[in-house]
Amino acid sequence: MMRREKSFASKKRNEKVANIVSLVLVIILALIVMLPIWWIFRSSLMTNAELFQWPPKFLPPNWLFSNYKDALVYFPFWDYFRNTMTIIIPAVIGGTITATLGGYAFARLRFPGKKFLFSLCVGSMLLPTMVTLIPLYIMWTRGFHMADTYWPLILPYFCGGGAFNIFLIRQFINTIPRELDEAATIDGAGKFRILFSIILPSIKSAMIVVALLLFIQIWNDLLQQMIYINTSENFTIAIGLSQFKGSLKSDWSAIMCATCMSFIPGIVFYLIGQKYFVEGIALTGMKN
Amino acid sequence: MQKQYKTKKMHKNETLVAYICLIPSIIGLIFLTYVPLAAVLGLSLTKWEGVGIPEWVGFANYIKLFTTDPYFVDSIKVTIYFSFVAVIGSMIYSLAIALLLNRKIPARGFFRAVFYLPYVLPAMAVYIGWSWLYEANFGLFNYILSLLGIHKLKFIASSELVVPSLALIAVWLSGNLIVIFLAGLQNVPKVYHEAAEIDGANGWQRFRHVTLPCMTPIIFYNLLMALITNMQVVTPALALTQGGPGNSSRFISYVMYQYAFKSGKFSYACAIAFVSFLLIGVFTVILFATSKNWIFYEGGEE
Amino acid sequence: MKKCKKIISTILGLTMVFSLTACGGSQGETTSNEPAANAQTGTKQEATNDDVIHISYSYWGTPDEAASVQEVADRYHEENPGVVVDIVCIPNEEYVTKLNTMAAANELPDCGIMNEAGVLDFGSKGLLADVSDMYAGADAVPLDSITFKADGKPVAYSAANEILVLYYNKDLFDAAGVPYPSSTEAMTWNEFVNTAKKLTLDVNGKNATEAGFDPENIVQYGCTVDNWTWQLEVWALSNGGRWFSEDGKSCTINTPEVAESIQKVADLMNVEHVMPYRAGLTDDGVQSTICAGNVAMSTGGAWNIGTCLNGVDFNYGVARLPKMKDSVTICTGGPQVVFSQSKHPEEAMDFIKWYMKEENSWDSLIATGIWMPILEKYYTDDALTNSWIDNENFPEHDECVGALVDYAMNNAKSTCWYYVPHTNEFIELLRAVLGDVWTGDATAESVLNENYNALNAIFLGE
Repeated sequence: MMRREKSFASKKRNEKVANIVSLVLVIILALIVMLPIWWIFRSSLMTNAELFQWPPKFLPPNWLFSNYKDALVYFPFWDYFRNTMTIIIPAVIGGTITATLGGYAFARLRFPGKKFLFSLCVGSMLLPTMVTLIPLYIMWTRGFHMADTYWPLILPYFCGGGAFNIFLIRQFINTIPRELDEAATIDGAGKFRILFSIILPSIKSAMIVVALLLFIQIWNDLLQQMIYINTSENFTIAIGLSQFKGSLKSDWSAIMCATCMSFIPGIVFYLIGQKYFVEGIALTGMKN
Repeated sequence: MQKQYKTKKMHKNETLVAYICLIPSIIGLIFLTYVPLAAVLGLSLTKWEGVGIPEWVGFANYIKLFTTDPYFVDSIKVTIYFSFVAVIGSMIYSLAIALLLNRKIPARGFFRAVFYLPYVLPAMAVYIGWSWLYEANFGLFNYILSLLGIHKLKFIASSELVVPSLALIAVWLSGNLIVIFLAGLQNVPKVYHEAAEIDGANGWQRFRHVTLPCMTPIIFYNLLMALITNMQVVTPALALTQGGPGNSSRFISYVMYQYAFKSGKFSYACAIAFVSFLLIGVFTVILFATSKNWIFYEGGEE
Repeated sequence: MKKCKKIISTILGLTMVFSLTACGGSQGETTSNEPAANAQTGTKQEATNDDVIHISYSYWGTPDEAASVQEVADRYHEENPGVVVDIVCIPNEEYVTKLNTMAAANELPDCGIMNEAGVLDFGSKGLLADVSDMYAGADAVPLDSITFKADGKPVAYSAANEILVLYYNKDLFDAAGVPYPSSTEAMTWNEFVNTAKKLTLDVNGKNATEAGFDPENIVQYGCTVDNWTWQLEVWALSNGGRWFSEDGKSCTINTPEVAESIQKVADLMNVEHVMPYRAGLTDDGVQSTICAGNVAMSTGGAWNIGTCLNGVDFNYGVARLPKMKDSVTICTGGPQVVFSQSKHPEEAMDFIKWYMKEENSWDSLIATGIWMPILEKYYTDDALTNSWIDNENFPEHDECVGALVDYAMNNAKSTCWYYVPHTNEFIELLRAVLGDVWTGDATAESVLNENYNALNAIFLGE
């Protein structure tokens, strides 16, 4: 009896020590990881001339928050933000839903042609988007006459949200024991019922991850947006940012200001979603 | 008889449900992926520069790629080298960070945001920022090196160091992998951990025998994703190095971009695209084939 | 389940709302311009008139440049109420990409500015409309050196005449007690190197001519000769060599004069230690060196006067480039073109002709120093010259006359893309092969000889 209690106490101590060590490691790593970000932020508060001085300044000499006001003149953040969200909201919703449906089918359902379809799905991940750019551009513009609209940027996400996400959901569903499914089937539940009542709650964290990944992907997707959007009223954040890198000069501090403004929504979205997948819905197996 | 009928009906039902679930994906696969892919393959057998009718040339583009092209053969080597370093680096880094962040340390949520932040940043800003850190004359890293009395390094301006330097940025950016690992760690059933503790396993043993095996599907996913995205790398070349110095950071996708969009040689670029597709395909198949040996699916095998 | 349904219906509802906004905001090319047109014309009602023709004009530039182009478009519309010009603003990085993509899909705008290296290729693919009568019957024609020619026929005219010059930081020169470079006479290369040495300082304050100079710890460099690839051609010409023969029929880049010219630039970094290391990959030669204040001299395009030198806090001057054998500079400038896919070629041509008249881009581009005029009369007629350079944006009058006006008039030669095709690809490969020359790992001669066949193949269009 005594031995078990003793080992229990020492185990707790060991865990505490491990936690402290982890904390120290995390702090050091976090500082290192933040360095380039700090570098970007401090550059947004300096003038272009100050940026290239030697030795490089760790802290901005004058904290020029006015740079942000100047950048806003040519970087209408809220307009770009609204435009970008017009694309992101439907695309993320569509992508998450269709990815979940697809992942469920591949993980749980049996049907003819499953292996074939799955290899097609994985195969499509191997294709860099740049490859299909020209044929798709011709299809959307000459075929559907959707140049300068957001449709070519939204609709593709309704088709599974990208094979990566279908695959991710599949992997997650595979970590859920099948016994629950079988129990529900015996109780007379149909496949959709199983999906909604059993699977969905358990993979909430994975779905949030998929939504987050889609958000970030579209937020930063310069190439596709630039190809399809022509008029500046319709520009998105990504296009707006790249405008500062002009042909004749580059307004570095403006770029950095615009960047710092632009990554805030991504972080906000992450912090909101974090609540859901951090706590996690860890399955504990069959409970009685 | 009744049982047989019910099973058959259930099977039919299951197939129907499956197809309903998969219709959007199938449409996408056909029209957004495979039809354009067929177009790309078809174009690669022609000579077309954006105007007029494509002219049939058979395999001439492919032959040219492997014989006289000044970029392509080097680009395959460079891409594989980069992927290797970046994938291994990102996997170790993100798994380690995810493990650390899974513990009960204060301000966990804040730290998680910190490590995720690089992934959220727009690519251009990331590369501009890092280019200032790496700058050969007046960059921050060289400043630190000079304070330590070490010779300045050219980093991305030197042919030896450019790939490791870019791979370091890729590792720094792998916050998305951390997020997925974290979600996976959450999914390890607590009962297993508790059972192992009762059996007297310490932290390291629990990690090796409980956490890791349960995580293998997620590890596989991250590995596959990291491999595929890193083999398609193009943004560092576009934003920073333009493939230089020489060909030492000239990735396959960058060569494709160069030919398609800077020179307008679309059909030639399609040939490159197809070879790239096959190359990544080979690595993916290898990964899938070996996966059966080490992945443990809680929910049962297919 | 009820909660589920509620969530799903809310989501679907939101999706519909946003999709409708997307639809309404940007439906096709013509209607999306309605709000823009209304903003331009204010109270005028013609915008809704059916026979208003819309032409699209594409260009690259930062948002402040965008504002000045929009002003130009508005002014044109005031003078020509039947035509509205819609600006298609494409970020500079992606400009060529988007143009090539649009060309493949037959979606090119009606007109636009083009990057120099791609002009002849677009022309040979038939994508450019014929400009032979653009200046028919006009009293003044653009300088010959900035006319793009295929088989001797003009294909496009540059919208601006940009030459390469030498900028220098007067304050650093004063501090070192070194006389300024001349704006009327080019220094010899050796004089240039010696001047640079006197201005290269290490952390102990010694300059590069003194004993005990520490090349590992330089805090100020004497010069930067921009090795952004296309600019290297000027040194070949100055050294008596040519990248391509004058008739554009053969590639002569592997001659000793060319190799020597490139080697001398590389030696500035690796042998003389007067130039900070540059890989020749970016366009920010002036901005990251002389504007940053730690380099005393820098070569660069004339446009830097208007783009980054206007913001510096030191006194700067402009002088002629040093000469290796001949005093020469090269000129370039993006041309305004009409694309042959246009459905309104006459209106587009008219707009381009109007835009290229100096009076119409005066305040925003010429007076600020970003563009130099293209008509000869601005270089020969004193009154016109003064109206151009006598404003606060430019350095001293005499310096400008010597290093900008007369230099451009008498010593400027055309960059290769004015008469040679496939220059985009050629320069790309050249940039790649020269990488090792800048690090000092290979000589220019060996690199050019090894790669001549590949370069020549590109030139011949294989």
